[in-house]
Amino acid sequence: MNQVLEHRSAGAAQQTLLEVKDLGISFGGLKAVQNFNLTLPSAGLYGLIGPNGAGKTTVFNLLTGIYQPQTGSLSLSGKNLLGCKPHEVTAAGIARTFQNIRLFPNLSILDNVRLAGQIRIRPKLLSTFLRTNGYREQEAALKAQAMDLLEIFDLQDRAEDLAQNLSYGHQRRLEIIRALATKPSVLLLDEPAAGLNPQEKLALAQSIRQIRDRFEVAILLIEHDMQLVMDICERIVVLDHGVTICEGTPQTVQNDEKVIAAYLGAIADDA
Amino acid sequence: MSASDVFIEPTSRGVNILKSATPILVGIALAVAIQFLLPSTVGPYYSRLVIDAGIAMILAVSLNIVNGMTGQFSIGHAGFMTIGAYTAGSITFYSSLLIWGTAAKHGSFLGSGEWMFVIACLCGGITASIAGFVVGLPSLRLRGDYLAIVTLGFGEILRVVLQQTGKVVDNAETIRNAPLTTFATVPVGGAIGFDGIPKYTTLFWVYAFLAITVIFAYRLKRSSFGRAMLSVREDEIAAQAMGINTSRQKLLAFITAAFFAGVGGGLLAHESGVIISPKDAGFQRSFDYVIMTVLGGRGSITGVMLAAILLSALPEVLRDFERYRIIIYAALLIFMMLSRPQGLFGIHEIWDFFPKSWKTLPWKKSPREEAQ
Repeated sequence: MNQVLEHRSAGAAQQTLLEVKDLGISFGGLKAVQNFNLTLPSAGLYGLIGPNGAGKTTVFNLLTGIYQPQTGSLSLSGKNLLGCKPHEVTAAGIARTFQNIRLFPNLSILDNVRLAGQIRIRPKLLSTFLRTNGYREQEAALKAQAMDLLEIFDLQDRAEDLAQNLSYGHQRRLEIIRALATKPSVLLLDEPAAGLNPQEKLALAQSIRQIRDRFEVAILLIEHDMQLVMDICERIVVLDHGVTICEGTPQTVQNDEKVIAAYLGAIADDA
Repeated sequence: MSASDVFIEPTSRGVNILKSATPILVGIALAVAIQFLLPSTVGPYYSRLVIDAGIAMILAVSLNIVNGMTGQFSIGHAGFMTIGAYTAGSITFYSSLLIWGTAAKHGSFLGSGEWMFVIACLCGGITASIAGFVVGLPSLRLRGDYLAIVTLGFGEILRVVLQQTGKVVDNAETIRNAPLTTFATVPVGGAIGFDGIPKYTTLFWVYAFLAITVIFAYRLKRSSFGRAMLSVREDEIAAQAMGINTSRQKLLAFITAAFFAGVGGGLLAHESGVIISPKDAGFQRSFDYVIMTVLGGRGSITGVMLAAILLSALPEVLRDFERYRIIIYAALLIFMMLSRPQGLFGIHEIWDFFPKSWKTLPWKKSPREEAQ
């Protein structure tokens, strides 16, 4: 478990990692996200919730450079990320999963992970053609790193299978592994529990915490499963119609009237 | 024990160098064998067919890098080929005139003339790859049908431009005394084609270049580059999110594919019985290569090679049916696409269909393992 678990900046427990200020974007007349603020400390585990269409995934797309924000600022460990292309954002240390699984279906599981791991290498075309010793070492290291990761998540035996042949739950897991393979400092999970059964959800909650501790990543999580969110998140941001209506600990959020009106109503009735 | 201990084997550097060089050497040895054994066994007619099939394979395998691996739909591949053909052809033609006073073939097997021809082919590849870069640029903003139209347009524009070129100057004295304006018209033959290019193309050179093309394509596919290209094909958004610079990968695919197409064009221009002409840049020929890649399977190198052999042999096999052969050819294509829409081998290579026991020969691990 060598490279993968490499400790990043040890002792930076509550340092601000991701700093988002007044982020906003409109699509024509629709103000999809307005004045979104977030301060994510390193190793933080935050949740982002809200009704369907509230703009949660849009926030992820803004953070990862798929959409360019029209207002606001965005920085990771003090480094400005505004105007960066998606692959530059990933290289800077923000990795994500997708709400509708977006694996590379016709590539093997190993290749899915290995591909994400190659983000920090600069291969040369000529040495690739000649398969020089340097090239072989690079590829062997990539493969070893990917296999280490797969082993941690118990998928090593299926490394050669195509990603599309995995079960739904395993595909969700592979998406997380693939994101981790880019060695991020911030991990964005877009509805990781969608479509999982209760046992799988329980296991997921466990592993999200473990991932945070083991890989020392800060996690921002979009999820509709309130039990999961309230259970594992330290702080929660609630979006409605692109506007942040509440931000605070699970306790605060659960008792906030605006949140109950906009989103949590059903749960409050149950309770 | 961590996984790394299992997967990285202790190998010496010497063994690795040998492993890397062997396929290239074997390919070239095969090319030599074909050169000296084939014509005496099967005669000139079939030798010619084998040369045609070899060039078709170079073109199809290179197009496969763009269409099959990177998933960009290019139908201008014959354009790159023609750029290579004209570049290489004018280099050998005019250099021969100036150096040896005649454009006829000079020297025998591996003689000075042949080396000039090889350098000319490589220059053809380089100019074609520059064109590949230019045509690849729109691919950063366009996808699917729209990109197809741009690449189609490239071939057609090239065809029309080549038709406007000047007459070939086939006399060394005239060239030496010609005013610069003669060269401003680009004397490569205009609409009737570039006649008089020395006929250097032999089985050896076609199959040596084919070996290099195939090994390059295969190693590319199995490398970080190849995975990045495949990821662009599979899901562009996800590829970006995994840190792949998709623009760079697409351009790279266009450039490398165009390079090998240009080399293939150089070989075609020097093939005896062939007069390279502007219509070679047109969509007809481009479509031939697209059909080969589609028929072979997306990204399957061996599949595309088989399709290239089949499609270059088919018209000859059907020659007996005379005027019906185009109909039969088309009907066969339709039948093949209906029965195997994913192409002959789909996303697989030929050895994926071999029984397991074949792959575990004592000196050989599974192909995937070996690729490491």
